[in-house]
Amino acid sequence: MMDRRRVLTGMAAAPLALAAPGIIRRANAESVLDVAAVYSLSGTFANVGSGLNDGSKWAFEQYGSAAGHKLNYVLLDDRGDAGEAVRKVQEAMTQRGIKHVIGCTNSAIALAVQKEVYARKGIYVNQAGADEVTGKDCNKSGFRWPVACYSAVNATVRPLIDKFPKAKRWYTITGQYVFGDSLLSNCKDVFKEKGIEHVGNSYHSLSDREYSGYIATALSQNPDVLAICNFGNQTVDVVRQAISYGMKRNTKILAVWSTGLDQFQALGPENCEDVYFGANFWHGVDSPGGRRVAEIVKQKTGDVPNYLQACGYAVSQILIEGLNKANSTDVPTIVKALEGISYEGPTGTESIRPEDHQVVKDYYLMLGKAKSAMKDKNDLCSVVAATKALPPPEKTGCQMAASL
Amino acid sequence: MRTVERFPNLATAIVLAALVVLPLTVPATLASQIAIFATGALSVALLLGAVGLLSFGQGLYLGVGAYVCGILLRDAGLGLIPALLMAALSGTVLAGLLGSVIVRRHGVYFVMLTLAFAQMGYFAVLAFKNVTGGENGLSGLPRQFDLLGFSIADPLSMYGFMAGAFFLVFLLIQRVIASPFGSVLAAIRENEPRCEALGYPVARYKTAAVALAGGIAGLAGGLHVIFLGFVPPSDIELEMSQRLLVIALIGGIGSPGGALMGSAFYTIVSEALSEIWPRWMALIALLLIGLVLFLPGGLWGARRRISALFARNTAHD
Repeated sequence: MMDRRRVLTGMAAAPLALAAPGIIRRANAESVLDVAAVYSLSGTFANVGSGLNDGSKWAFEQYGSAAGHKLNYVLLDDRGDAGEAVRKVQEAMTQRGIKHVIGCTNSAIALAVQKEVYARKGIYVNQAGADEVTGKDCNKSGFRWPVACYSAVNATVRPLIDKFPKAKRWYTITGQYVFGDSLLSNCKDVFKEKGIEHVGNSYHSLSDREYSGYIATALSQNPDVLAICNFGNQTVDVVRQAISYGMKRNTKILAVWSTGLDQFQALGPENCEDVYFGANFWHGVDSPGGRRVAEIVKQKTGDVPNYLQACGYAVSQILIEGLNKANSTDVPTIVKALEGISYEGPTGTESIRPEDHQVVKDYYLMLGKAKSAMKDKNDLCSVVAATKALPPPEKTGCQMAASL
Repeated sequence: MRTVERFPNLATAIVLAALVVLPLTVPATLASQIAIFATGALSVALLLGAVGLLSFGQGLYLGVGAYVCGILLRDAGLGLIPALLMAALSGTVLAGLLGSVIVRRHGVYFVMLTLAFAQMGYFAVLAFKNVTGGENGLSGLPRQFDLLGFSIADPLSMYGFMAGAFFLVFLLIQRVIASPFGSVLAAIRENEPRCEALGYPVARYKTAAVALAGGIAGLAGGLHVIFLGFVPPSDIELEMSQRLLVIALIGGIGSPGGALMGSAFYTIVSEALSEIWPRWMALIALLLIGLVLFLPGGLWGARRRISALFARNTAHD
């Protein structure tokens, strides 16, 4: 029989019992950290965004948690439009309370998102190529994994000049936009310093697919080296067309910036052979961090990692390393933890410069192998030089605020 | 000939109600984007609906408005309303100047000229990258505004401002269409040679309509910049002109209310489709083909059809 005391105790416990599922849910929810990833999964840059997104997502799966919180990957598809990216980041930050953001598919998106995240006091790790990200447009929120144009040029053009001291005449073919221009101006600086004769430059627009006119002009200047200052599929097309014009016979060809394996595969060994490429990542470089990336990519695709996957992985890893070191999700604490951090990244031991939030890592000068020298289908190039060539912090133009 | 509806009318009430309901059904930032693109689509609706001019170049005026607003906010320290007025004015002046040339050509030549000028605008932005930021866009804009003591910073207050701006432009267009000026534009649309024969300065009327539409597009550009705190180069790309045209077509040309319906449909559906398939634009194209074939009056026309059907059934009862 129920006595009065038991009834009263039951009545007091009832609200608690009713609220229990909510309390438990909330307790669980508090241990989940939402991280937004901004990638172009549709539109013009969908093929690039998709590879980057895979790498970032797989890193989250591999790590699972950070700073005692289960990681939740929130994908924002920007459709290749910087405006759309900003709107979606605004939405994620204001309506979902997200403070941790990673990823970008191009520099324009990164620059816009970096400003947005900074204004809303979040943290943003990205893989933009443009110098401004850690240069004049740097801020306390932004961290960048790939090297800047300065580093790409100094890690490829300089070693090539040293390797071929008699190759004094250089011609450049440049994509006419910020990134191409930035590579070109850095090339010119190195040419000037090294006494190289820059015999000419051809600009092409971003919509060009046919380069025979530019290549004929380059041939007429009889250069020792043809340097291609661009990014993406256009670089592959220029290399392929230069080779079909017989340029490889008397001229060294250098693609200052390539995406590595996927572009080498697109060119095939017959085109890659004896062509020089710059690359941010190469699966053949053995390191503890590289092995971690290889392990997850092998598990997911059965193949070796390419640049896009490694790059996507790298930006996730940086944020996670920061969270773990800070042992907190508090943004200023993570920013402080990341400044000067050293960790095992996809290219080996990597660190972050506190002055501009640029990751200090190797950039590779690679040389295409002959088909007969390839050990497997992915062994298309060998590393000629691995250089950490960063501009001095005071020359980047970055004016970093003391705090967020 | 179409009859001119009284102003304000049922459409005014429906649009107002839709603007109130919108932020309750979709996130406030998405609702703001819908209101902004609806404002831009109003410029197409005015040209195509009131005068019968098919412009592939409204993105140019939207882009110019965006850059003017962005530069004035960032470099001249102008406030919200003056910067927006200058955005609208820049669109009006540019459209007026170009319009005085374009309106002298008809049909496909008119369309091609609007297209050519729109492309020139985009390449001008790339060429003058020191001013425009090139393909990186223009950043470093203020992020908080005050209007009559109210702060416009959070998503909901931002939406309120965007919706208010759209509604004012919507009322303006309704008023213009219902005015004697609008009657002359409608007459030009129906029979241009007869209007000329009657002594109307047709070219001037068309130029005025193009300038007004340019001003509205410029204002939409300014609103977009205030909303984003950034000028995306996509605002002046040809794709923006296409987007405004598609929104106006989906909504129903000649119906200002259709601009809001078209914008809501395009924005929400593209958001959903992009998560299903990376080439979502192809699905939008299919939807557009379906609409043109089976619903020529667009979504706003469907509303009319349903109302007419309902009225007929009620009469039978």
